[in-house]
Amino acid sequence: MDLSKPPETPALPLYKLPPVLETELANGLTVLLVEDRRFPMVTARLGFQAGSKYDPGDLAGLSESTGALLTEGTWSRSARQIAEEANGIGGSLHGNSSADLLVLSANALCENLPKLLNLMADVARNASFPEDELELQKQNRTQELLAQRADASFLADEKFIELLFAPHPYCRQDPTLESIARLERAALAGFRDRHLAPNNAVLVLLGALPPPEQAMGTIEAEFGSWQRQKLAAAPPAEFPEPRRAIVLVDRPGSVQADIRIGRLGVPRHHPDYFPLLVGNTILGGGTSSRIFMNVREKKGYAYDAHSAAQPLKQSGCFTVVTQVRNEVLAGALDALLGEMKLICTQPVSADELEAARNYLSGVFVIRLETQDGLAGQLAAVRLMDLPLDYLEKYTTRVRAVIPDDIRAVAARYVDPEPASIVVVGDAAQISGQLETIGKVTVEEAK
Amino acid sequence: MTTPTPGGLNVSFDKHTLANGMRVIFSPDHAVPVVTVYIVYGVGARDEERGRTGFAHLFEHMMFQGSQNAPKGAHFQLVESNGGFLNGSTHPDYTDYFEVLPSNKLALGLWLEADRMRALAIDAENLDNQREAVKQERRLSFDNQAYATAVVERWPELAFDNWQNSHSLIGSFEDLDAATVEDVARFFKTHYAPNNAVLVISGDIRIPEAKELVERYFGDIPPQPRAEAPDLSEPPRTEARFETYHDRLAKVPAVAMGYPGPPRRSADYNALIMLDLLLTGGESSRFHQELVKGKKSVIQYAANLGWPFSSPADYKDPGLYGIYLLYNPAFTGDQIVAQVEEEIAKVWNDGVDSSELDRARTHLRSSRIQELQSSHARASLLGRFELLDGNPEYINTELNDILAVTAAQIQGAAKQYCDPGKRIVLDILPAGPAAPQEDR
Repeated sequence: MDLSKPPETPALPLYKLPPVLETELANGLTVLLVEDRRFPMVTARLGFQAGSKYDPGDLAGLSESTGALLTEGTWSRSARQIAEEANGIGGSLHGNSSADLLVLSANALCENLPKLLNLMADVARNASFPEDELELQKQNRTQELLAQRADASFLADEKFIELLFAPHPYCRQDPTLESIARLERAALAGFRDRHLAPNNAVLVLLGALPPPEQAMGTIEAEFGSWQRQKLAAAPPAEFPEPRRAIVLVDRPGSVQADIRIGRLGVPRHHPDYFPLLVGNTILGGGTSSRIFMNVREKKGYAYDAHSAAQPLKQSGCFTVVTQVRNEVLAGALDALLGEMKLICTQPVSADELEAARNYLSGVFVIRLETQDGLAGQLAAVRLMDLPLDYLEKYTTRVRAVIPDDIRAVAARYVDPEPASIVVVGDAAQISGQLETIGKVTVEEAK
Repeated sequence: MTTPTPGGLNVSFDKHTLANGMRVIFSPDHAVPVVTVYIVYGVGARDEERGRTGFAHLFEHMMFQGSQNAPKGAHFQLVESNGGFLNGSTHPDYTDYFEVLPSNKLALGLWLEADRMRALAIDAENLDNQREAVKQERRLSFDNQAYATAVVERWPELAFDNWQNSHSLIGSFEDLDAATVEDVARFFKTHYAPNNAVLVISGDIRIPEAKELVERYFGDIPPQPRAEAPDLSEPPRTEARFETYHDRLAKVPAVAMGYPGPPRRSADYNALIMLDLLLTGGESSRFHQELVKGKKSVIQYAANLGWPFSSPADYKDPGLYGIYLLYNPAFTGDQIVAQVEEEIAKVWNDGVDSSELDRARTHLRSSRIQELQSSHARASLLGRFELLDGNPEYINTELNDILAVTAAQIQGAAKQYCDPGKRIVLDILPAGPAAPQEDR
């Protein structure tokens, strides 16, 4: 027996997703039912096209606050009743908003499915946004925002998406102190009435479900009378041309420099998405990626260094992220920009490609172990306008990527020449190092 | 193998002991083609010696620096390129490592863990390199984060009197600098032996095949004499303690409070877990309804027996019932402490009605079912219950023990343990305008 070499193992096992039963109610609500008897639980998602990109310009945070307050009172239930009922059926119920979506997430012990659906329908349709609950939300969100703004990484992300996306509303994904102060009940109710409609929603139910006709009967009873709405259009998918901009956000006294470098990326339904995903994995996607090995392991500049290709519904962003000690900023930038350029000009090796394909395929299946993982993926497919076989074909499409594809997409989304660069740190200490790569705009940390 | 229980949990597993003393637990579940290899060693920060703080954590870093046949970087590279992920973590009473992999890659995970248990690469270069990595981690995750130093370093010093319990888990820069290659090699030999480890394999496996692989990779690693277990006992507490901490990075005040807790697995231990659920479990809990909502004094909170660690299962006794509250600056820390104790006093005086208790029980049962969905969570609980309790069956039965707690037991435990005369409080206040952290 030879223990000196890693054991040979077979290729990754295949995994077939459980069947998905898809129906549409007369009012346009899309329903996905998935049988999963591994656990005596049901997991539900009710997702709407109602993320922060629909916030009016002066009311950043409206989608987020609407989502948070859905569960804080309806015309027939107080906030306390909602909390007691949700916990009493062995579950939880929360509304969260992201750039594209507002999602109600819930779960319960499976015998309580009818109660769960009754509760979800009530908060989705009849939230009353009580004045005292809104005041509390505003007070606590203000404190939370103050704490976030003390964090260099928050400031870096904020400036970076502004450079990348403005004037598209993807350019701001958090409220301001002023916009929180402006939130009123009428605005929240208005947002709900405009966006939380059945023809703008997908309901995913996953778990130990009753027979489909029985489940559909309950769904029809709770959601069937919900009225269709004329829907607001998404903001036009218009984004600035990529251009080199270097912004230094001055945070006097910082001993670390927080770095973001990147460009616009693509949504998941774009043909460039899979090559970009695989290329990103090689460049900065894990602890054996080029950026991690160079910046952390070889140079010792940082504790963490990585890149990400984050898809949005109308666009996406490719970002390189790290935090380094002040004195090594120039070296770190040089290493990062060098790695970004290299992947545009030279083909990746066969070993790197095989490793990245395996990593993405394996981790994809691992994330489906839990009901939350599977429900999240299913909801995303329908809400992000992906082909119906997206999950089934995910592994195949990852495996189909070849080195030429990666070089081609890298030139379009990774090439550092027109990349935006944000550094948050002490300008007095680091501006000289930053100026070696170009003209720097210095802004005060707000 | 187990039979269904009142809590309804039925995680099946098989336990074996190799000739070298290594305990191995197999827990098959074929729903998804995924396997977790989890190994937990019976050594943590509370095993450290004076002058060697931070050693358990430094050593966790060393475990990723290569071993006889798996060179530096190979752990990450091999696991990721085979479709998995991995990590390790250091705790007061144990240190654990895991790989989650596609199920037909089980042999790879076992080979990697066995290679580093058998022959870790301990040399000056790796040690220097990881000493620096730990310092950089400390700058980033502790010295540059609001609340972290107060909670992770100051809190245990205030809460415990026995040095084994009160010293810093991340360690001082002085002690890290003082560590020699010989110290690290001795630590490895003493603590990273098969007879001080529990290996768990959970997920899509066949037991005979897994057993054969385990025997092949781990069977001939020699056992070592066991280290003497440290004395973790605390002198009896006779006074309340209060301290104010000025945090330069915090923007919002917070208060940590705690009470010395009951012995692990005692009836009172189960009763305090239930009390904690009533006070802090979910949005229907008393803290959420009375403090966050009613008095609008608390913004967020976290609590449990063993806090600041994430669950009671993370910590051998003597633990604390710890409560951490981020609060509205219109209030003072004293007021928040008084409000918390007013809520606890309501349990002493008025007890708990059956509908509230039923709701808390349902919430607990559902949370545990949720938690057990991933092979990693199942492996981690099985391994830690074996290591800390000698009984992995707690994965199914612990829930029954807690569900069986009565209202009267909760009332009794609240009275006995949440004693203001033994209360420890650390009030964490923002220290003036945004004064960023100095490097050390």
